[in-house]
Amino acid sequence: MIRRARTAPVGLTAAVVVLLLAVAATAQALSVEVTTVQASLEGPSDAQLLPFRPRLRRLVGYRAFRVIREESRPCVWRNREAFVIPGGRLLHVLPKGMREEAVVMQVQLLEGPRSLVDTDVRLQNRGVMLFGVDPERGTANGVIIIMLKAEE
Amino acid sequence: MTCAEAERLLDSFVDAELPGPMLLEVARHAGSCSTCDRAVRDMTALRSSLEQMVRGELEGIDLSGVWPAVEQRIVRSDRRGVWGRVPRRLPMWGAAAAAIAAGALLWFRTPPPEPVRVTHARPNQAVIERLVSSQGSRVGIMKDRKYGTTLIMVSAPGEDAGQ
Repeated sequence: MIRRARTAPVGLTAAVVVLLLAVAATAQALSVEVTTVQASLEGPSDAQLLPFRPRLRRLVGYRAFRVIREESRPCVWRNREAFVIPGGRLLHVLPKGMREEAVVMQVQLLEGPRSLVDTDVRLQNRGVMLFGVDPERGTANGVIIIMLKAEE
Repeated sequence: MTCAEAERLLDSFVDAELPGPMLLEVARHAGSCSTCDRAVRDMTALRSSLEQMVRGELEGIDLSGVWPAVEQRIVRSDRRGVWGRVPRRLPMWGAAAAAIAAGALLWFRTPPPEPVRVTHARPNQAVIERLVSSQGSRVGIMKDRKYGTTLIMVSAPGEDAGQ
């Protein structure tokens, strides 16, 4: 018993050290930022979107852009994370790995139980890609733009 | 330089540890001050007598047996290897916990990056490797030429419109 009591802390300490290392490794995981933007034909634009405005205008054709939701969180590799998008939608992000300085991930946009789009993308590290949701109820209502940024 | 200033630097001066200009300054002061000059001479004499004493003692030590003993230990250590150092009586549960933790570390760590090829990717470049859209929704892919930003546009008819 005495011998057991002496050796037990060795295994326990090793386990704790390795677990701490695991926690440290997950702390260095991918950081994912999802910004939901309402694009409309007219009105003011948010200052934080000014650098993106010309790009957004070229791509979606609208003139005014306002942030309606912003969320940034660390994501563990090979672990699915769900980001809430206004309008009853969800953006599922599953980071798979790094390839050629780019983040390989599966992105799925859901509207209720329906999957609007499910894609595997390779996005440049610290790069931004966009998802647009057009509800097809006329251009006056505008569109929702989801800006997805991934950074290792 | 005053005597008080020189006194603080004398130790370093005798050991030649001062930077060049300061060494020169202390030497100049000692040249013009008999007290400091005497202190320098006393210190130098003490230093050399200490040196002689230590050298004498070192010469008296027999180091011939040290290397064979060290060599013998190295050979023994090599034979034992890495696993020889693991405590022999490590409890099973401890080993199992360590193995599980190691597995967790391997599972959660960042996947190793694949070999890097030199490419001139733009900051926002995105490559779409697979894309599936739901029935009834239209998907368009647009790319901004200037920044390389990719937009995947989904036209999602409302549930009432889709029926």
